[in-house]
Amino acid sequence: MATTTATLTLSSADLTGDVLSLSAASTLTEAGNLTGLDQTTGVSKKVLAAASTTTTLIDADDYPSGPAKNHRFFLRNASTTASEYITVTVDAQAIGRLYAGDFLFMPYHNEDGTHDIKVTTPSGQTNTPIEFILIHQS
Amino acid sequence: MATVRVALRVSSTDVLSTALDVSVASNLLADSGSLIKAKVKGTAADTDDLVIYKANDKLESAYLYIRNLDEKKENYIFVRNETESNTALVAKIGGGEFAFIPVAVDMTYQCIATKVNTIVEYGVFGLDNSSVTLA
Repeated sequence: MATTTATLTLSSADLTGDVLSLSAASTLTEAGNLTGLDQTTGVSKKVLAAASTTTTLIDADDYPSGPAKNHRFFLRNASTTASEYITVTVDAQAIGRLYAGDFLFMPYHNEDGTHDIKVTTPSGQTNTPIEFILIHQS
Repeated sequence: MATVRVALRVSSTDVLSTALDVSVASNLLADSGSLIKAKVKGTAADTDDLVIYKANDKLESAYLYIRNLDEKKENYIFVRNETESNTALVAKIGGGEFAFIPVAVDMTYQCIATKVNTIVEYGVFGLDNSSVTLA
């Protein structure tokens, strides 16, 4: 069993009159138990060459599915051009836009084996670099 | 404009034969947001859902942090995209786990849980749309 941890910190000194400073940590385990996730895609880097194009990053068929599965997914838009974004969908559900330098980290429940994770580039935006990793269970 | 900084570290010494250590950070474009702790009463879509983001409350981009504070892994919360459908599951988050994701700013997100009164902590940060009120 592997041990993988994820720690998120969120802070702001000037959003409100009260300083925001939180830290959330989690050991990445299987669904409903304490067994650590032991498989991973490793950190992948990809350049989304074309504009207005949808690319499948995670093909749901390739990973265990069902309600008793709980994987984790990290994705970062590694562009350095502030206006560049990618639109993320899971199982065709819109997650939202990731702008340059921003990232997401979320549980990935491949409930019925159809939950492809895809990204789409907008019109006129080419060569967008991204990084992603899936850490998953058997 | 305020500065909201978010950082994430994912690390493991044994999931690969080489150490995994990913550390990233970003300053979010945000002038509004708050951190909220609340109970999720609803266990089925459209019955006592907790609204965690109202459509068009933010402009252009916004980010959601949400954490399930339940102690049991099997007590899930379900983040749904209410605008799309009752079955539009965005994330299923076990007890003690969290997610940090962008939100589609023109859609409403709601939360239900497997257990009545599951406690969550959440916040949405982004550029405020002054034309939309949360009332």
